[in-house]
Amino acid sequence: MADMNALELDSVRRAYGGVVAVDNVSIDVKRGEFVTLLGPSGSGKTSTLRLIGGFERPDAGAIRINGVRIDHLPAYQRDTTTIFQSGALFPHKTVAENVAYGLRMRGITKADITPRVKQALEIVRLSGYDERYPAQLSGGQKQRVALARSMVVRPAILLFDEPLSALDLSLRLQLRAEIKRLHEEIGFSAIYVTHDQGEAMAMSSRVAVMRGGRIEQIDRPEKVFGEPANEFVYTFIGESCCLKAWIAAGAAADSDGDPIDLRLSNPLGEGAWRIYIRPSRMHLGRADMPNGLKARLDFTEFLGDVHRYHFKAAKLELFVDHPGAVAHKPGDLVDIGWQTADMIAYQ
Amino acid sequence: MADTSSILPARRASAIPVPRARKDAIVLRVLTLAFTVFIIAYIAIPVLVTLAMSFNDASAIRFPIKVWSLKWYGDFFGSPQWVDALESSIIIALGTTAISTISGVLAAWAFERFTFAFKPLVYLLIMLPLFIPGVVLGLGVAMAFGNVSLLGFNVYGSRALVMLAHSLWAMPLVFMLMEATFRTVDHRIVEASYDLGGKPLRTFFEIVLPSVSTGIISSALFAFVVSLNEFVMALFLTTRDTQTLPVLMWLSLRSAGTPRLAVASVILAAAVFVSLSLIMVWYIRQLRKT
Amino acid sequence: MSAVPSEMARRRAGLRARLTPWLLMAPALLIAVAFFGLPIAFMARMSFNEHIDQRFYVPGFTFESYAAMLTDQTFRGALLTTMRLAFVSSIVTVVVGYAFAMLVWLKPKRWRLAFIALALCPLLISEISIIFGWWMFFPKNGLLSYALVSSGLITDKVSLMYTEFAAFVGLTYVTLPFCFFILLSIFDGIDKKVLEASADLGAGPLRTFREVLLPLTKGGIAAAFAQSFIWAVGTYATPSALGPDTLWTIGYLIQEQMLGKHNWPRAAAFSIVLTIGVALVMVIVRTLTSKRTALNG
Repeated sequence: MADMNALELDSVRRAYGGVVAVDNVSIDVKRGEFVTLLGPSGSGKTSTLRLIGGFERPDAGAIRINGVRIDHLPAYQRDTTTIFQSGALFPHKTVAENVAYGLRMRGITKADITPRVKQALEIVRLSGYDERYPAQLSGGQKQRVALARSMVVRPAILLFDEPLSALDLSLRLQLRAEIKRLHEEIGFSAIYVTHDQGEAMAMSSRVAVMRGGRIEQIDRPEKVFGEPANEFVYTFIGESCCLKAWIAAGAAADSDGDPIDLRLSNPLGEGAWRIYIRPSRMHLGRADMPNGLKARLDFTEFLGDVHRYHFKAAKLELFVDHPGAVAHKPGDLVDIGWQTADMIAYQ
Repeated sequence: MADTSSILPARRASAIPVPRARKDAIVLRVLTLAFTVFIIAYIAIPVLVTLAMSFNDASAIRFPIKVWSLKWYGDFFGSPQWVDALESSIIIALGTTAISTISGVLAAWAFERFTFAFKPLVYLLIMLPLFIPGVVLGLGVAMAFGNVSLLGFNVYGSRALVMLAHSLWAMPLVFMLMEATFRTVDHRIVEASYDLGGKPLRTFFEIVLPSVSTGIISSALFAFVVSLNEFVMALFLTTRDTQTLPVLMWLSLRSAGTPRLAVASVILAAAVFVSLSLIMVWYIRQLRKT
Repeated sequence: MSAVPSEMARRRAGLRARLTPWLLMAPALLIAVAFFGLPIAFMARMSFNEHIDQRFYVPGFTFESYAAMLTDQTFRGALLTTMRLAFVSSIVTVVVGYAFAMLVWLKPKRWRLAFIALALCPLLISEISIIFGWWMFFPKNGLLSYALVSSGLITDKVSLMYTEFAAFVGLTYVTLPFCFFILLSIFDGIDKKVLEASADLGAGPLRTFREVLLPLTKGGIAAAFAQSFIWAVGTYATPSALGPDTLWTIGYLIQEQMLGKHNWPRAAAFSIVLTIGVALVMVIVRTLTSKRTALNG
C-alpha cells in the first residue's frame, strides 16, 4: 500500500528557535499526483518543501519516498529535485552542462547523458540553446532550463519552490500552462509551493492550504474553493466581502447598533456574525432573491472586465462586481441579492 | 548643480556671492591640478629613476646618464650569484603561493560555510600574523627552528622554511580576500548542486571553486607578490645558498650600490607585472565566456 | 516497514559535520600555530634567558632584558624615534592618501583605472626596490640634485640623502597604497549627490568638506592611520637605509641585537614588546571605530 505513494509526510514538525515553522504536517502524494502547498508568506509551505528536499532536518515525524524513510539523509542522497524560485542555474556552466549535472552526479555514462540532455531540452522547447550560458538567457528560459535540469534525472518527486514568482504576468501564465502540459504528458509526481491561488487552482490535482505551519485543508481545487473547511480557507481562496453583523431578535445591526436592512433565507442565531459573499455572486437591483441587502452606492471602480461597485450600509462596507455599467448613481439606495449557496457565515 | 537650483524658485541668490563662488572654483581647480601632478611625480620618480639607471653604461650611480647600454643586464645574467638568487626567489614565491592559497581558501570556506566553537579566536589566530612586523616573525621563526633538523635535513636555511614564514603574511591575505569572495557565492546554487546529487566535496570543486576562480587567482597573485618582494624575514632565514634576490639586493645596497641593483629591481618588478598581465589575459577571456 | 534510521548513523553524520570545518582549517591552523604561535612562545621564553659573554644565550630566568629597556638610553631613544617616525609618517600618509582617494573619487570614471594602476605600483614593487629608487634620487650625484642644478635653481650640488626627510619620503611611499585603498573604498560608499546637496544649500567647498565629507570618512581615516602606523612601527629597512645614522628604530635594534651583537634574549624581549605594542594599537583602533561605525566589519 505504501508503494502507491511517491511521498509521505507523517506528522512532520520543525521549529526554529521557539517558532514552529512546520507543525504536525501529514501529506501523501500518490504517483503522478500534483499537489500544491498554498498559503501566505510565513505559513510554512517553503519550510515543508525544504524538509522534503533535505535542506533541513525535521525535529519529529517521518518522510518517506516510495515507502522508504529518508528524513535522515542529506539532500544529495535523496531522490528529489527542486526547481528554485531563482532558477539557481550554475552560472559558469552551459545550458547543456547544467542539465547534465544531475545525471553525472548519478554516475550515468557520457553516452547515455547526451541523448537524455537533448531530449530534456526538447521537452522544455530549448533545443539549440545547449551552448549558451545562463547569463545569455531570459528569465523564462532560465526557468525552463531549471525545469529540464530537475526533470532529466527522473526523480521520485519534483519539488517546485515558487518557480514562477520572479517572472512577469504573461510569462507566468505561459510557463504555468507549460508545466501543466508536461505534467499531463509525463505524469511526474510533484509538490508545488506557491502563494498564488490562480496557479494552485489551475495546475493541481490537490491543494493543501497552509497557515501557521499547519495544513488547514487538503483537497481537489474545486472542493477547496467550493467547500472551504473553515473561515481562513474561505477568505484566503478567492475574493470575498465580509459583513460584520450583529443579530438580535431576528434584526441585523452594525457594531454601533444602527439597523441594517438584511434579509436572510436561513435566519442566523443571536450574536455577532461574519457573513461572507463572493463579490461576483451578488446581483444588483434584485429584491427577488432569497437573500438581500439594501445599501447605498458609494463609488464605482472600473476593473477592466467588470465594474466594482462599493456600497455602504450603516457602518458595513461591501463591493459587488458587475459586468458593464448600471444606472445607479452614488447615493442611490440599491437592492443587492444573492443565492443562499453563495454565502457562508461564521460566528 | 545649476540645473537643480534653477528649478527652485525661492533660492536665495545671495547664499554665495557669485564672484566668490567663481574664485573658489578656480582655486579648487588649481589645487586639484597641482596635487595630480605631485602624486603622479611622487609615485613615478623611483620607478623612472630605476628604469633609467638600469640602462646606464657607467659603473657609478651618477646623473646625468651619458652612455646608454644593456651592459648591466648582461652582467646580471652572467653572475651565477644573482641568477641563483632570482631562481631562489621564484621557487620560494611559487611555494608560498601554493601553501597559502590552498590553506587560505580551505580555511575561508570553513568560515563561510560552517559554525564551530571558538570561531573569533581562530579568526584572530589566522589574521594576527599579517599585522606583526617582519622582523619579529623572521626572528621568531629563526630562533624556534634555528637548529632543528628533520631526518638529517637541516630545516634552518631551507627554502621550505622561508615559504612557510612568508605564508604567515600571504595566508591571512588569501584568507581575508577569499572570505569576502565566498560571501558573494549564491548559496542557492550550492543547494541546487546538493539537490541534484552533488556530494559536498564534489560540489565544492565543481560549483563553488569555479564561481570564485577570479578571487582565487587574484589572492594567489597577492601571495606570490608578497613572497617575491619580502626580504626582512628572508634575511633572517636564508643562508648564502638560499638567498633571495631582495635579500641579496639589501646586502649589496649596504656595501655599495651599482646599476646592477637597478637591473635587479627592474627584473623583480617585471616578474610581478608579467604574472599580473597573464592574469589579466585570463580574466578577460573568462569575461568573454559569459 | 521502513527502517528507522539508526542512532549510530545519525551520530556519525553529526560528528562528521562537526569535524569538517576543523579538517578544512587544519593546514591554516598548522601554519599559524607552528610558525607563529610556537615562535612567539619560544621568543617569550628566550627573552628571560641570560646573555653572558659572546654566547647567543644562556638558559636561565632573569628579567634583565626587560629591565635593560628601562635603563638603556639606546633603547629609550629608539622607542621614541620609532614612535615619532611612525606617527608623523602615518599622518602624512593619511593626508596624502586621503587627497589621492578623494581625487580618484571625484574625477570622471575614465581616469579611475589609470589612477588605480598608479596606486598599485608602490604595492607591487618590493620595498628594497623603492629604497633603492630613492637612494638614487636624493644624494649629491642623484637625480634631484642634477635636476635642480641644471634648471638653474641652485648652483651647488645638494644631498638630501641620509636625512629624516628622505626617510619620511620613503616610508610614506611604502604605506601610501594601503591608506589609499582603504580610503577609496570608504569614498566609493558615499553618494556623490551629498556634495551637490550641500552646495545647493549654500555651503562653500571648505564647509562642505568639513561638515559633510569629513564626518562620513572618519572611520576610514582611523583605519588607514592604524594600518599605516602598524606598518611604520615595525619597519626598519626604509628608515635605516634612507635616514641618518642616528635614526635607530626598534626594528633596527632587534636586527642589531640578533645579527650584530648576538644577544638573543635582548632581541627577543624587544620583539615581544613590539608585538604587544602592535596588538595594543589594533585593539585601541578597533574599539574606537567599532563604537561609531561598523567599518571594520
